[in-house]
Amino acid sequence: MNSLGFRNVQLRLGDRLLFAPLTLIVEPGVVASVTGPSGSGKSTLLSYACGALPAAFTGSGDILLGERRLNGMNPEDRRLGLLFQDDLLFPHLSVADNLAFGMRRSTLRRVERRQRIAESLASLGLQGFEPRDPVTLSGGERARVALLRVLLSGPSAVLLDEPFSRLDAATRAQTRAVVFEGIRRHSLPALLVTHDAEDVVAAGGPVAQLQLSQEI
Amino acid sequence: MARTVRRPVKRLALVLITVVSGVPVLAGLGMTLLKALNPAAWSVVWSTPGIWSSLILSLWTGTASTVFALFIAHLTVALAGPARWTGRLRAVILPLLALPHLAIGIGLALLLAPSGLILRLLSPWLTGFAQPPDWRIIQDPLGLSLIIGLVTKEAPFLALMLLGALAQVPSEPLMLASRTFGYGRLKSWLVSVAPALQRQIRLPIAAVFVYGATNVDMAIPLGSQTPPPLSIVLWQWYTDSGLDLQDAAYAGSILLLGATALGLISLAGAGRAGAALLRRVATSGRRAAADRTLRRAIVSLPLAVAILGGGALLALALRATSRMWRFPRVFPEHLGWNAFADSAPAAASPLAMTLAIATLVAIAAVALTLTVVELLSDNPRWTRAVGLWLFLPLVVPQLAFLFGLTWLMTRLRLEGTLLAVMWTHVLFALPYTWGILVTARAALDPRYQLAARVLGAAPLRAWWTVTAPLLTRSTLLAASLAFAVSAALYLPTLFTGAGRIVTIATEAASSAASGALHIAALYGALQAALPLLAFAVASTAGHFVYRRFGGVPR
Repeated sequence: MNSLGFRNVQLRLGDRLLFAPLTLIVEPGVVASVTGPSGSGKSTLLSYACGALPAAFTGSGDILLGERRLNGMNPEDRRLGLLFQDDLLFPHLSVADNLAFGMRRSTLRRVERRQRIAESLASLGLQGFEPRDPVTLSGGERARVALLRVLLSGPSAVLLDEPFSRLDAATRAQTRAVVFEGIRRHSLPALLVTHDAEDVVAAGGPVAQLQLSQEI
Repeated sequence: MARTVRRPVKRLALVLITVVSGVPVLAGLGMTLLKALNPAAWSVVWSTPGIWSSLILSLWTGTASTVFALFIAHLTVALAGPARWTGRLRAVILPLLALPHLAIGIGLALLLAPSGLILRLLSPWLTGFAQPPDWRIIQDPLGLSLIIGLVTKEAPFLALMLLGALAQVPSEPLMLASRTFGYGRLKSWLVSVAPALQRQIRLPIAAVFVYGATNVDMAIPLGSQTPPPLSIVLWQWYTDSGLDLQDAAYAGSILLLGATALGLISLAGAGRAGAALLRRVATSGRRAAADRTLRRAIVSLPLAVAILGGGALLALALRATSRMWRFPRVFPEHLGWNAFADSAPAAASPLAMTLAIATLVAIAAVALTLTVVELLSDNPRWTRAVGLWLFLPLVVPQLAFLFGLTWLMTRLRLEGTLLAVMWTHVLFALPYTWGILVTARAALDPRYQLAARVLGAAPLRAWWTVTAPLLTRSTLLAASLAFAVSAALYLPTLFTGAGRIVTIATEAASSAASGALHIAALYGALQAALPLLAFAVASTAGHFVYRRFGGVPR
């Protein structure tokens, strides 16, 4: 597995620089955290990393996977898994179909794909959830399915956009443990964007604090 | 990278939708103007007796119907208030909206006429009439029956527009705020919510006025004949075989266009005056808290509209399924399938033509709309601009651009072809499909698409597997509305079809114009049935797709 790197990354909204240039290397199996006040461009940083920067922003600096630059590639070619604040399970697909959506077509035969989906669901205590409608799941269950959807898509790195902030306190700790454990088990480099101090502690990796830039 | 690939496609889609919609409208208008540069034609116009009365009648019907319809629409939405009622209101209004003006006009004629359903219900026990009285209830010289007809159609339309605008206005906090100051519900609505809504529906109001002042569909069964509204005069001139009168029709439609524009300007002025008046009312300090009785009384207005609409449908259905129907009898002597089956074979071929055109038009309009909406989804400014452009055929009087457009199509040898007819139909369907699909697309969380992309789906696959399924229900609704619009269109079919394309609408209008109301009733009933059928199919299908999945947008 390769490391995930940010080299001199800067974002601008119009003329305004959002934060001082960010340089950060995340090793495989490590969850690094990015914190900062709201409006500092935390979420936008992730959009930039996965190649979907909103039109109002401009960005510069390299996104690296090992030594490979991802800049200019389409989101679908970057192989960066993204976990959102909301789970964003596709509401028109069953749990199994949501998981199958991200799996690469070439890798496995149909039966094997189903097998892998069943196994991965069972590994997180979601046996038999395949045909379920996503809206019928609890918040914690949805978060776990969203994690599995990312992991089964075979990403090279994972980006987390405050994925625990909508969960209630009890579920949050448990889900956090499950997500971090999954990321470490797959030896993936991960970047967590959050403003929850507990998240940062639990992530355990390096912390980058985005400073509101005074520079124009 | 992605952007450079998309840009030419985006331009192509923009060009296509512009060319399909606004360009024919403007080109047709320009042609009409050119053809009207003919002094001889104008002298025919000016020397026509009653031309000024016709013009004034047109402006009066347009103004009165717009004001009443707007009034009723506001009251209806104000009374519906909480969200659970507005949802139901919308469900009632949508099919009402899709009913053709022509069919409702014929139905109202059958309902309100001296020999109509209402007087039959009251005779002879109350009125003492054994024969229909010699009254001018419909086609009255003051245009009242035409105004009633227009209000029946346009009040639901404006109410729907208001409901749409309600999403943009924080109506509930506004209402709560003014009610905590002790204002009654009606006054709270009037001074806090209504002005904000009003700003958002200026364009639909303009469309209602232009339609009211210039339409032919409803003026045929309900408009006065002595003098007729100007639109009817022009329509008669244009369909006359004499070339002099055809030229006069071009000139006259420019007169109608100018008068309508002036009317719109004065309406806007009246709107400003009204807003100023409303500000004085708002700051007068009167609470009008005891509005309960008033609110109860006001319910009768939307109710009256619903009863008129329903009564018109009932009258259509009764007349279409009967042969004899002597006067004071409420129900026809031989009600039933036989009478319908006798006259139905003649309707078979226009019906097939209508179905074919409407289906193709619905497919074309929805496909074009979905494509352009998607390509512009990251550009709200262009989306708004295209929306305005597509609205053009609804705010330019149909007659004014159809005359010139038909002439152009004759030059291009397109006149009388299915292509020409379908093209004009698509142009009228687009503002509706656009409105529905833009709203539905904007309501989708854009991160669904991003989620699909980062999971490895290329843009087209992300659209096909995520966006399109989530828009299925709105797409079905848009398609059924486009179908309804196409099935209702009379003038565009008559003109660009050169009279050779015969549909339910053209048959209904020509039989109503010749006074054969019993035949018009058959076609009117079919015309009313088609959009209702389309809605039933769309909502049933919408109910079944993704039925298992509660999170799919309705």
